[in-house]
Amino acid sequence: MEREGGSSDGFQNGILGNIDLRPRESVLDLTGQIHHLPCCIKHDGPSSVSHYFKPKKTGIEVEVLTIEEACFRGRKLQGTTISLPDGYSGLVLGKKKNPGKRKASEISEANLNCWEIGAKFQSITYWNHDSLPSQDDTFLRCFHWFAVANALHKPITDDDLASYISSSKVKLMGE
Amino acid sequence: MGSDAPKWASEPCIMGIDEAGRGPVLGPMVYGCLYCAASYQKTLPSLNFADSKTLKEEKREEIFESLKSDGSIGWAVDVIDPKELSAKMLKKNKINLNEISHDSAIGLVARVLGMGVLLTEVYVDTVGDAEKYNIKLSERFPGVKFIVSKKADSLYPVVSGASIVAKVTRDRALHDWVLEETVENMHRNFGSGYPGDPETKAWLKHHTHSIFGFPTLVRFSWGTCSPYFKDMVEVLWESDKLGEEESSSCGKRQLKLSSLGFTGCKRRSEEVESSSKGRCMFFQSRKLEQMTHF
Repeated sequence: MEREGGSSDGFQNGILGNIDLRPRESVLDLTGQIHHLPCCIKHDGPSSVSHYFKPKKTGIEVEVLTIEEACFRGRKLQGTTISLPDGYSGLVLGKKKNPGKRKASEISEANLNCWEIGAKFQSITYWNHDSLPSQDDTFLRCFHWFAVANALHKPITDDDLASYISSSKVKLMGE
Repeated sequence: MGSDAPKWASEPCIMGIDEAGRGPVLGPMVYGCLYCAASYQKTLPSLNFADSKTLKEEKREEIFESLKSDGSIGWAVDVIDPKELSAKMLKKNKINLNEISHDSAIGLVARVLGMGVLLTEVYVDTVGDAEKYNIKLSERFPGVKFIVSKKADSLYPVVSGASIVAKVTRDRALHDWVLEETVENMHRNFGSGYPGDPETKAWLKHHTHSIFGFPTLVRFSWGTCSPYFKDMVEVLWESDKLGEEESSSCGKRQLKLSSLGFTGCKRRSEEVESSSKGRCMFFQSRKLEQMTHF
């Protein structure tokens, strides 16, 4: 995480590190317990969330979104729970606690910046302060990226290629 | 809650409106009204109404029971949950307590009229400027004469009656309050709820939580809570920051935020926003950014 202000080196290359996505036995399933709040809580650590934070269904539906209600620090929040699309998972990453013993020569930035999966989730509840969730919310619009990413990065199969070629032939013949 | 319209309701009627629990830092605020036929007005003093604050609790309970059984009197209450008070007063567009109070009184008048009671005169204890309040009420209900005054609860028996209805309802609501939070070590010795009450102070102190603040029984928007917030984890809201921007004192705080890596908020900061130069519009408008540091 540390970078000297003047050095552009680290910025261009990013920070070296690695994320271990191998499934582990101790991975928790936090589906239904992930909340995205419209505020910054300057705290990092456990808290007795379920004893204080009590979302309730309102029975209201807006644009197919089921609206829930909760409050936090006196503010009224309106939120909705969305499932992550098939093929995607939400991950909670944590720094690897014990990267093992290493020789001094092997201790590099990459080795110190190791992450692993602490928990997984398949849904997330996001909350707005004072406004009903809607498809126009930035948070939901982020999901558009999945379609774009597929178009850009999904490997092209032989079938894709064949159907593309045949369709362009039809087009040519039509002209 | 309240009673249905009786036969005498088609006669010209008078009504009093008063509130209980406006000052306390916890529990609901209750608006109460009491109405009767104008012809019954002269009987009211014999019921020994007095401003509810000057009566002992048992006496208030006793009077409330007797007026409930009095067929010539009608009453209604509006109980405003502390959660609702906090939420309204902490909205992006804040609604102040006077406005909430006015709306509650207006709601009661509308409800009683809606029941078919022929209200001709309504006596109200003032909230804020009496004249402005009177205009607001009169414009909303052109057929009703409003008498808005200070100390209406001691001047007009019908308002004294309303104050008893409100006070008893508030006391019972607080007495029977079920805390929503399921935390051990919570108790219900709230005291009166007034900020100066030692029992209330002790309760507040004992029920703070570093992340969640207080149980929802507490009115988070009260100045009384501010000193406690200082010892809790800081929570920053977008709506607060917009307010700060107006008073142009946001610079420092946002810088601090972005250096801490609170991503949801740092995007608010202009300095970070400008670094999105060259980022495709698709990503900008979705606040998506490639992370190189985590």
